[in-house]
Amino acid sequence: MTEVNVKKEIASNISRISSEGADYVDARYYLDDSSETLLLYDGDLEANDTTVECGIGVRVLWEGAWGFSATSDPSGIDACFAKAAANARTASRLVNVPLSMGAGEAVKGSYASPVEIDPFSVSLQDKLAFLSRLDNDLKEDFIFKRMVFVNFQKKKIHFQNSFGSEINKDLASVFGMIMVMALDSDGEMQRRSMSLYSTGDGTAGWKMMTDPELFSGHAGRIRSELAELIKAEPLEYGRRSVILLPGQGHLQVHETIGHPLELDRILGYELSYAGGSFVDLDSFGKLRYGSDKLSVSSYGSIANSPGSFGFDDDGTPERDYLLIDRGILVNALTSRAMVNEANERAGREVFEQSGGAARATSFYRAPIDRMTNVNILPGNDGTEDEIIASTEDGIVVDNPVSWSIGSNREHFHFGCEIAWEVKNGEKTRVLRNPTYQGHTLEFYGSLSAVGDKSTWKVEQVNNCGKGEPNQVMQIGHGVPVIKFDDVITGERK
Amino acid sequence: MLDANIREILMQVRDEAADSGTQATLQLHHEKSHLMRIGNNSVSLNTSEDLLRLDMEVTEGRKQGSQTYLGPIEDVDTVRGILNAAREKARMASPKTYDPIPDVVETPISEDNQFDLELADIDPGMKVEAYHEIIEKLGGQYNYSGSWSSGLMQVYLLSTANRNEAYHRSTDQLFSIVLKHPRAKWELTHNQTGWRASDISIEKTINALSELLPIYEENDGFKAEPGEYTVIFGSSAVAEIIEMAVYTGLAGRSYEEKQSWTMKYKIGEKILGDKISVVDDPTNPETFMFGFDMCGRRRNIFPLVEDGDLMNLMYDSATAAKYGKKPTGHDTGSPSIVMDTGFGPADPLEAVKDMGRVLYIPALHYMNIPNRSKGIFTGSSRFNAVLVEDGKIGSPIFSSRVTDSFQNVLGNVKAISSVSESVNESNTYGRRAPVAMSVPSYFVSEGVKITDSADSF
Repeated sequence: MTEVNVKKEIASNISRISSEGADYVDARYYLDDSSETLLLYDGDLEANDTTVECGIGVRVLWEGAWGFSATSDPSGIDACFAKAAANARTASRLVNVPLSMGAGEAVKGSYASPVEIDPFSVSLQDKLAFLSRLDNDLKEDFIFKRMVFVNFQKKKIHFQNSFGSEINKDLASVFGMIMVMALDSDGEMQRRSMSLYSTGDGTAGWKMMTDPELFSGHAGRIRSELAELIKAEPLEYGRRSVILLPGQGHLQVHETIGHPLELDRILGYELSYAGGSFVDLDSFGKLRYGSDKLSVSSYGSIANSPGSFGFDDDGTPERDYLLIDRGILVNALTSRAMVNEANERAGREVFEQSGGAARATSFYRAPIDRMTNVNILPGNDGTEDEIIASTEDGIVVDNPVSWSIGSNREHFHFGCEIAWEVKNGEKTRVLRNPTYQGHTLEFYGSLSAVGDKSTWKVEQVNNCGKGEPNQVMQIGHGVPVIKFDDVITGERK
Repeated sequence: MLDANIREILMQVRDEAADSGTQATLQLHHEKSHLMRIGNNSVSLNTSEDLLRLDMEVTEGRKQGSQTYLGPIEDVDTVRGILNAAREKARMASPKTYDPIPDVVETPISEDNQFDLELADIDPGMKVEAYHEIIEKLGGQYNYSGSWSSGLMQVYLLSTANRNEAYHRSTDQLFSIVLKHPRAKWELTHNQTGWRASDISIEKTINALSELLPIYEENDGFKAEPGEYTVIFGSSAVAEIIEMAVYTGLAGRSYEEKQSWTMKYKIGEKILGDKISVVDDPTNPETFMFGFDMCGRRRNIFPLVEDGDLMNLMYDSATAAKYGKKPTGHDTGSPSIVMDTGFGPADPLEAVKDMGRVLYIPALHYMNIPNRSKGIFTGSSRFNAVLVEDGKIGSPIFSSRVTDSFQNVLGNVKAISSVSESVNESNTYGRRAPVAMSVPSYFVSEGVKITDSADSF
């Protein structure tokens, strides 16, 4: 079946099921969903994999309940719509809180990630030669294991819904990581890594890989940091300031601002899997989430990030807005149905409009509320060096080893790859096995310094898991260097 | 059974590849999945997927490439195209420094002893009625969420080494419900798993939650200050701890590369307490049994830890090739990890009646490993966690964090239940791959480190 015919069939099915009484219908037609993964481990090409998927996912809202069905068979479109409608009808037999997409307008548009050189157009030989050069840069006698990982993704998606919307998206993302490992003086494995990041501008294509600042030029740095790490003392337990570099700060934001502000989580739709949120509908406009220095945006009009996609999977254009304004919680990560339910439940307008955060990982998963780009806005506390200079007793930490968060995101425990001790405004030595823990509101309340634009990076997340059936999502976090005071660090003896 | 046309197409392409001297593995994965999600006392999603995936891996000497395709398979040309893509990737690949071990379907195998037609074709309406009944019986004043995943999975494996076919067909399901108090915010849960439609009993869930409800309704929360406690870990927590300990300590790759908490020990040496025995047993019906791995090797009973001693390490094919070992049938996403039961009473409260103040943590939320070399894990209590004093349940406990080592927690076990439970550890990322563990319904460990606690559930 040709692409044109598939689109016609989708339109005719949406029309038919709407006329049968559905509240709302949409379909996402993935013409191409490709992913290529290459992994050099100790110089051996351990992964040389490409995955190609295509198919259609159909969502039907019937008397306040969602039904979903997906097929990879273009000849099965009618059956797929029928199954989604039947699933919705069945679901509507148990509805205490009816979901609603509200009255919508037709949205017509298209979006393409900025790509100058498509990684899929670069020959495998050239890619492997690039990886091999990077691997070579990681070599040194004391290094026990080396890893170079890259992943390229592209998605060509056509969207239609019963509001009359028609949207085409060409999304592209690139991910990369280098890592070195070595044994420390106690015979325990230590590691240093670096993941490809974005400035927010530029392209999402192959050029990011070869940019020395964004990715390819960091091998020497992580090698020398590992050399210090394996000779370092372990971090002792105690309260002190913690300065998070963006390589760690992005995950702190992800886990303790991003996830608790997903509206479906706040409303209780994730309880059986990911958990809930300490935030409730009364929190918006009132809850002090952090110090005055904390302002957080969603999307942030970042041109080049895996969390920038033009239109969400409800057909809502991506929107730049504040989640936290100078410490006060003001908004959430939202989709149409969740906004309507929240407002209905609160009996007032808590949210003015959808935040454009309905996202599905593939054609065979239904959209849920996800992060887009969740960003801490740059502050006025200067450069990384200036923040360190203002610190009496603390540690600077980078890159996660471990993360474990309470079910309502109210408390957390992080392990990091490396810490630098700070005494009287100066980095004094490297410390190994750093961990820190805290309670979310108390922690952000202790935010005492936010780095300027020079410290701000868009870190990319390729593996955010949520939802049932489970979905992995790609996300961006623009984060500066941030400092927190009086934090519990290290492990109690 | 497997679609005859697809089987014929795959065998034809296998034969063509073998005749042309190509070394390839073809793996077909078919799933018919259904999942119903509950949120706010309503069905929040009712979803069905019928998906067919084909994985092709080609080996040319020391070079390998693979291609995965998700879509319809209606003709030979489609499959030839996937094979050619994998072949091209292998041709262009850089050679490894070791010789990959060829995939070989060792013996013909066709297994469907955990397949239930009734579950494969389950009516989603039955799930609606079940949740409706729970809400009616336990009361609509609570907030209910949950999910019920069920499905059929078929795997068909061929390699160019011979014409043997390996075929697996099974069904599986995981039922869960969470009951949350809308104001007090405590959460209770109950899960059930199995491969037959009849394995789930709604009455059992209603009874289990009914027993706990008065305790939560009538008692305030208890905040466990950081310190060392005697802890009863319930089956879900036991499964999480054992699963993490196995994969960070007993995988050949981690061990060979000195990233494992067992790296300083040799086979036969004591790594855990005397009471701990763990085996990978694909014949245990409380697990989802898989008789072959994705490289075509038969999976057999494989002791990992016996009376605390390290017995064996699990080697996947790539690790075995790299380190000169024999693969052990662990190229699988569906292991059958079994922890031996002990001699403790069935009732955990009976087991701790002389132990004074004890924390009962049935499940650990969001476990992770801050220090792999030392085997230190961290995670927090969530559902159904209570304080027990002299064998009697006192108060529910607020969210409490356990940060401790496998060797401490599994080295100080004082009692192990004599009753086993099946714990479903599947996820639904990507393709359907059911995993269940058989573990004691609880064990009691002394000196467990609680490192943080919240003022809420």
